[in-house]
Amino acid sequence: MLLAKLALGFGGTLLVAGAYTFHEGVMRVDEDHVNVRHVHVWLPAAVVPLALHVIPKHQLERAAEQASPWLPTLRALTKELKKYPEAELINVRDSNQRVHIRTHNGKLLIDVDGSEEQVHLACPLAVIDDVSSELEANAPTV
Amino acid sequence: MASHSWHSLRNSFFGAALLLLIAAATVALNSLAQASGNPPQSSSNTKQDRWLHVRVENPDAKDEIVRVNVPLELAERVLPTIDRDSLHHGKVRVDQIDCHGVDLRALLDAVRASKDGEFVTVQNKDADVRVAKQNNYFLVHVIDRKNSKKAHVEVKVPMKVVEALLSSGKDELDLVAGLHALSTQGDTELVSVKDERNTVRVWLDSKNVSD
Repeated sequence: MLLAKLALGFGGTLLVAGAYTFHEGVMRVDEDHVNVRHVHVWLPAAVVPLALHVIPKHQLERAAEQASPWLPTLRALTKELKKYPEAELINVRDSNQRVHIRTHNGKLLIDVDGSEEQVHLACPLAVIDDVSSELEANAPTV
Repeated sequence: MASHSWHSLRNSFFGAALLLLIAAATVALNSLAQASGNPPQSSSNTKQDRWLHVRVENPDAKDEIVRVNVPLELAERVLPTIDRDSLHHGKVRVDQIDCHGVDLRALLDAVRASKDGEFVTVQNKDADVRVAKQNNYFLVHVIDRKNSKKAHVEVKVPMKVVEALLSSGKDELDLVAGLHALSTQGDTELVSVKDERNTVRVWLDSKNVSD
């Protein structure tokens, strides 16, 4: 009986977490280099802001310091892009490579297809906003 | 007594679990509804957005293309946050831009101050150049005949935009003010360049894609 209740509680929590993940989406990074390495990262978007609280503070401060000149731009850009959840922004291609930047379903999608390497990024705009806010909070004050 | 407490604890637990399940189901259904074709509502639906489009095409190489679509409002909000090189708070310092000896600000200022008319007209066997101000537009028209295929350049900038660009201090152009002035204009083609290799178009409309 106790096990059944524990299972019910665990199942309920899992369902809520799953539903939240489904709601917030998945952050996806795929990086392929010809004959060198392949990196594929799929993360529930809800995990990313939580992970920032786990990163050692000095590492976060260093990242924030490096990113600080661009954080206001990133925040403004994210805030504005949220108003355009379905938009083709940049599409550049030639015979060797293609760069495609767009928003879809509230996510920022960046696809770079080159002859040597490919990078595909899909990140919910809300996550970029959360991460930039967190970095801004950790950025050194002038 | 102990049995009663256990009973109410068990009821509370099931009640809480039920609420969690309902909340989860609500969130999941909401997400499913969005995913199944109800696009998220945005403020862009409430008013007409103005988009700046840039397109570069090479008719001889169909796989070479540049398409840039930028909402003017986004550019207006993002530009002031950039503080880099000659760009500060949405203004660009023109004294650092190499314009091949041409004082860009002085040129635009002269155009603004003058009445409608032609400022430059050059017609010879190699080129046909016309710079004019007409019906509140700054116009540049160039035909280059030196190459086998004629090259055309057409620039048409509303004078309100020129004035807004010049509204900043000396040696500066106020890009944000220029974009804001541009956003009040109707659909218009700003730049059209056609040479032997590429065609370039810069235009303004309310569509979020360039067709």
